Amino acid sequence: MSQVPAAGRVASELDDIDALVRTYRARLLRFVAFSIGDADLAESITQDCFLKAYNGRANFRGDCSVNTWLTSIAMNLIRDQQRLQKFRFWRQARATAIDITDAASFLPSHETSPETRILAKEKAREVQAALEHLSPNQRTVFLMRFIEEMDLGEIAAATRMPINTVKTHLHRALKSVRAQVGGAR
Amino acid sequence: MNDPMKIAATHLTEAEFDSCLIGDAAPESAAHLASCESCTAALAELEAPLASFRAVTLAWSERRSATLPLDNLAAARRRAASGWRQRLAVSAGLAAAMAVGVAIPVLHHQKALDTPAQTAQNTAAAPEIHPIPAASIPPVAAATETASAVPQESPAQQIRRDNQMLRAIDMELDSRTESPAALGLLPATSVNPSVPSQMQD
Repeated sequence: MSQVPAAGRVASELDDIDALVRTYRARLLRFVAFSIGDADLAESITQDCFLKAYNGRANFRGDCSVNTWLTSIAMNLIRDQQRLQKFRFWRQARATAIDITDAASFLPSHETSPETRILAKEKAREVQAALEHLSPNQRTVFLMRFIEEMDLGEIAAATRMPINTVKTHLHRALKSVRAQVGGAR
Repeated sequence: MNDPMKIAATHLTEAEFDSCLIGDAAPESAAHLASCESCTAALAELEAPLASFRAVTLAWSERRSATLPLDNLAAARRRAASGWRQRLAVSAGLAAAMAVGVAIPVLHHQKALDTPAQTAQNTAAAPEIHPIPAASIPPVAAATETASAVPQESPAQQIRRDNQMLRAIDMELDSRTESPAALGLLPATSVNPSVPSQMQD
């Protein structure tokens, strides 16, 4: 039986944009949304990200996972957006800010008790509030590590930062988040 | 060499806990965690808010993503694919508009250059010019044929032909609008009232 090379398998996976969207959209939307704090804008950036990935799929070498590749594309789009926002003096009110207070209701009920869900919701809200106090770089690496569960090497590759810089950002981000999340040491 | 007893006795510091969380734990820290329930519990306590955040935000994004249609993306992909065709059409339209915009001033300029020479020629040759009947003015179709035959004529012939045609047009216009006879200022003795009397034989 012939074996298809990993890069070939990934390339064919990228050819089916609908399957790509179905598989990765929720994760990518989460990363973008909590990076910029705007749900509507996050949807738009996520869509752009898939288009960019689909159009540039020939450039994907298969040396990282598709999720890591998509996350790095999303990160570049987020940076572009943040650069653009610096010049907007009429910054919009946070009408489309993310509200995760209802999201805890959608946690798998067979795994968690109502009390656990309430506690999870509170903790998640505290972490979300703490994210707003991080610098863009700290927030990016924090989300990549603790939301996308990427390892240090993947984060360094995606952000094009030296691995020690990634560690420094992560340590500072963790310290800041821990200081604001109640109940943490 | 690290003393195993010392590793077991010294609990992890805050920085070491952070290193464990970010996936950069030193071997000593990992060894201590394997044997220290207190530090293991403390690490789990530190991880709990992050795990909650991960689970709740995934629930939020899955719910949000489920409300988004897939065909929006397909439509955007089609738009992106047809974008280059639209850009090509717009470029061609702009090029055509620029060509027209350049051609009109050039033609006007050529006409302006031809007119003084023709006027001077008219002035000098006025006494010798005979009235040209309107029927001799080449029709538009003939002018078109003339224009199409331009490359076959020498420049001198072309200029002569053009001057002749312009002279005929000028004569025709002058006789209709500006001649004293046409304005009723001369007695109707002229053979042809549409032609100035000084030009008549």
